[in-house]
Amino acid sequence: MSRNILIVEDQEDNRIIMKDLLLSADYEVIEAVTGEEGVTAAETHRPDLILMDIQLPGLDGYEATRRIKDNPDLKEIPIIVVTSYALSGDDVKAFEAGCDAYIAKPFSTRELLAKIREFVP
Amino acid sequence: VVFILCTRISKPLVQLTESAKKLSRGDFSGSDDIQIRSQDEVGVLSETFREMSNALEDSYKKLEDEVKERTLDLSQALAQLEMASKHKSQFLANMSHELRTPLNAILGYTELILDKIYGDVPEKIHEVLGRLEKNGRHLLNLINDVLDISKIEAGRITLSLHDYSMQGLVQTTITAVESLAAEKNLELKATIPSNLPSVKGDEQRVAQVFMNLIGNAIKFTEEGEVKVEVAVSDGSFLVSVSDTGPGLSEDDQKRIFEEFHQVDTSSTREKGGTGLGLSIAKRIVQMHGGKIWVESNLGKGSTFWFTLPVRVDKQKEIG
Repeated sequence: MSRNILIVEDQEDNRIIMKDLLLSADYEVIEAVTGEEGVTAAETHRPDLILMDIQLPGLDGYEATRRIKDNPDLKEIPIIVVTSYALSGDDVKAFEAGCDAYIAKPFSTRELLAKIREFVP
Repeated sequence: VVFILCTRISKPLVQLTESAKKLSRGDFSGSDDIQIRSQDEVGVLSETFREMSNALEDSYKKLEDEVKERTLDLSQALAQLEMASKHKSQFLANMSHELRTPLNAILGYTELILDKIYGDVPEKIHEVLGRLEKNGRHLLNLINDVLDISKIEAGRITLSLHDYSMQGLVQTTITAVESLAAEKNLELKATIPSNLPSVKGDEQRVAQVFMNLIGNAIKFTEEGEVKVEVAVSDGSFLVSVSDTGPGLSEDDQKRIFEEFHQVDTSSTREKGGTGLGLSIAKRIVQMHGGKIWVESNLGKGSTFWFTLPVRVDKQKEIG
């Protein structure tokens, strides 16, 4: 069974950390740097889960989430939104955009892995 | 004749008296009422009085203008000061945000190495990395607290006011710290009345206050218990968090809510405190329109109290 995870994150270090973490747990990883790339990658790769950063250049994480959830072919893909530190209201906005879960930065990699396993064991 | 003479003398004197009375009340119009017709002593007195009144009026006006000018200067200086203070807080908030990004990366990679994602880690290196992680977390907590407090001071924290359950909030907080208390064999008790009214406030921020007070109590108590009590009276919650810890000296009680005031820097550092938690708690309580204070006796434990209006519809401005 394939276990593809799409990471949409503009910061290289965060992308590497998430990628290395997921590879070590035997997931397959697709990377996107912008919101637009994220939406396109979701369409072409149909991942099993998407990790979506909020602060992205251009199309932000909320809008990218909304577009993916508006697409009937993609709306079943769980999206975990990664929000910035304790900006109150971010979680509400993330759920309004249609995400399935959110995790606040700074997250521990252990926490993130546990959250991912809830959706893709 | 006597009568006429009397009125001649007394009339201007009565006028003078009236004018003097007006003058003493700060009314300078009286001197214009004085009609001098005579060339005698009363006439001279009247003239002198008028001159004095005019001179007084002039200096009074000058004084008033000066006070106005100075008040304007002062209010401008105050506005500038407030701006500068806001800029400072804004700078701190931005800087804290910028500092966290690379620190998160450092912590992320450290965790991955510690979890052996890049392969086996020799014992010694594992131990050192553990210390690296612990210090990194301490730094991160400091930065987060500075970010919090500078955001509050820059007026950039808006309470998100919603209905929530006080029982739920206390229960969640207790659950979150239960293991910490258990590790130290401390008893953790919470008393909440079951028929609490419906609550409105910023649940996340109020939870932060509870977390801080209960967390501190557990951190500094080596044996005994930590007790949380919630009561309601007159539309306000009265919350107490008491411990059987070392207690606080009177001097410490006075300064404990100040930024970076820690009772014993070496021990608190060991315990991972930042010295900002209580300052943040104080501001959150104040933003809700409540008060926070401490009662303590050295060697006999401490009780932190705070009040919180049950329904907060509008955030309080704090200076």
